Amino acid sequence: MSLKIRMALLAVLSVAASAATLPAPAWAQNIRIGFHAPLTGFAAADGKSAVQGAELAVEQINAAGGVNGRKLELAVQDDQARPDQALPLANKYIGDGLKIVVSGSYSGPTRAAAGVFQQARVPYISAYAIHPDITRAGNFVFRTSFMGEVQGRAAAKFIGENLKKKKVTLLTLNNDFGQALSAGFKEVAGRFGLQVASEYTYAMADRQFGSIVASVKKDDPEVLYVSGYFFNGGPLVAQLRAGGVTAPIVGTEGFDTHNFIAIAKDAAEGVMITTSLDRDSTLAPMRKFITDYEAKWKVPADMVAASTHTAINVAAEAIRRAGADDPAKIRDAIAGLKDFEVATGRITFNELGEVYKAAQIQVIKGGQFRHFATIDDPVLLAPPAK
Amino acid sequence: MYYVELLLIGLVWGCTYAMMALGLTLVYGLLRILHVAQATVFTLGAYAGLLTANGTGSLPLAFLVGALVAGASGPVIYRLVYQPILDKPPFVALVASIGILIAMEDGFRLLFGPYGLSFAHNPWFTDTVGFAGLSLNVVQIWIVIAAVVLLSAFAIFASRTRAGVAWRATVSDPPIAESFGVSVRGVRYTAFFIASVLAGIAGVLVGLLNNLVEPGMGGLISYKGLAIIVLGGLGNVPGTLAASLLLGLVEAYGTVFLDKALDRDAIAFLFLIAILMVRPQGLLGKAH
Repeated sequence: MSLKIRMALLAVLSVAASAATLPAPAWAQNIRIGFHAPLTGFAAADGKSAVQGAELAVEQINAAGGVNGRKLELAVQDDQARPDQALPLANKYIGDGLKIVVSGSYSGPTRAAAGVFQQARVPYISAYAIHPDITRAGNFVFRTSFMGEVQGRAAAKFIGENLKKKKVTLLTLNNDFGQALSAGFKEVAGRFGLQVASEYTYAMADRQFGSIVASVKKDDPEVLYVSGYFFNGGPLVAQLRAGGVTAPIVGTEGFDTHNFIAIAKDAAEGVMITTSLDRDSTLAPMRKFITDYEAKWKVPADMVAASTHTAINVAAEAIRRAGADDPAKIRDAIAGLKDFEVATGRITFNELGEVYKAAQIQVIKGGQFRHFATIDDPVLLAPPAK
Repeated sequence: MYYVELLLIGLVWGCTYAMMALGLTLVYGLLRILHVAQATVFTLGAYAGLLTANGTGSLPLAFLVGALVAGASGPVIYRLVYQPILDKPPFVALVASIGILIAMEDGFRLLFGPYGLSFAHNPWFTDTVGFAGLSLNVVQIWIVIAAVVLLSAFAIFASRTRAGVAWRATVSDPPIAESFGVSVRGVRYTAFFIASVLAGIAGVLVGLLNNLVEPGMGGLISYKGLAIIVLGGLGNVPGTLAASLLLGLVEAYGTVFLDKALDRDAIAFLFLIAILMVRPQGLLGKAH
């Protein structure tokens, strides 16, 4: 073998060897989307639904060929629903060079992380956290769900116009979620002829509502508007019914999970909720989400899973339009989405990064969520624009 | 009538605290350990009871299994965790105890899922007993009965039986008690067993009262239990009972009259601080 050929062979070999140790070229790599949720701690139940919804979205998108020929991949981190966990986690995503991150968590960590992502100019989508200040962090922050106030207004209209009740008692969870719902409700209650007879607030950790049940019986309202999550709302509703309170109960999307029915059992029958997931929807992506979710995870779909599924689809669509490399372009692509159909409805972002959606009223019948009414009022339910 | 109903609810809550706090006081009196992990024994009892009830449909069996499983766990915790560090400063045991609490809480989460479980059939929860315009459900009535019976039984045990005398002797002076032939080790195991049985029964009862058993259900009651034994005058049994009932009452009225300003737990701890400012030795503790 001549020296020339041997040199050439060596060169080829060394190139091949170095190629084997180098990372794959960009077009062959997965596109990573940051995703944080409370996998442990008090909100771990919602965290589980959040991850399942997001994983289903990624699986469906990859099964359909991925995004621009590349597969999606979730980079999941646990925030324990705690703001102090959100900051290091946000910085890690930014340090790892992720170009878009989705929050599958509550308001505390989401609000804390929003500022970090805004400063780093990395687009950030909140799937179901409700605090108004989240999107006010800046133009890189979006929300694909209802704000608490908006949902509260929808409940007031529903009680006044559909149920035609007047005297209402509010049972309010004393965190930002419950207080935003209560504020939105009271803001427009008068407009729909409602009279707020009384309001009692309770804490996240409360599971015993004896004194609230006694107070509701004393006040004897025509209807109850109850905020909270399934793990405190479930026992609350069960204790109200066991205590002999028969007035209709209107709840919120915090009850939108089969776990609420599993806990409250018969007491859940007839409870109505405001949410964005309609089990009897005719909208194709919503239908497909509900059936695919149940097939994959063997549990009924819920609002949290639908919300993270929505946010991942928004992220994927933006990458499809803008490419996976430039966060600023991805941001512009999200902002430019019009009438985009997802598992929670048809969404268009306003200048603040909020979406308008019709509110779905679901009722629990035979242990299942069923369609009851739709509150479609773009003026009443308009999210803030600044 | 409304105020009387709140009073009854407060007493019921106070009884659940009493069953928890008595065990904490026992352990503190003997070993000067703040046994925060008592709360996981409470949760363990609740899960054992719930699984038994849902498996067999029998509530009495649920109480038996809940009490025994919880009861057995107490001496095990003592032997494996506290005994090796008894010669260390008290905060070491406290840190270990908090460690057990956190580890067990996430253990329950891994074993039974994060969602919490409810009783398949809970007649005590839906059946109410009405009298004089008041109504209580059957669980609430059983909580009061259980607290009165168990705490009276304990009082008789401590004052009338040989084991009780040995226990009190060990509390006041372990070396002297030992020299009189009292098995200090036996007394400690017994104390952990009794405390854990009480916690287990309280766990099943609170599970029935809430109609929900969940991994984190002990967390809150553990810190409240600590507050109660401080309020009662550390190691003081009558003081602990008085503090439990008082705290239950304060919470029952506070949750509907102060709810806009403070939540139930804030009310409880504010009350604790206020009392301790006036009586640093606790409600019935003696000033030194």
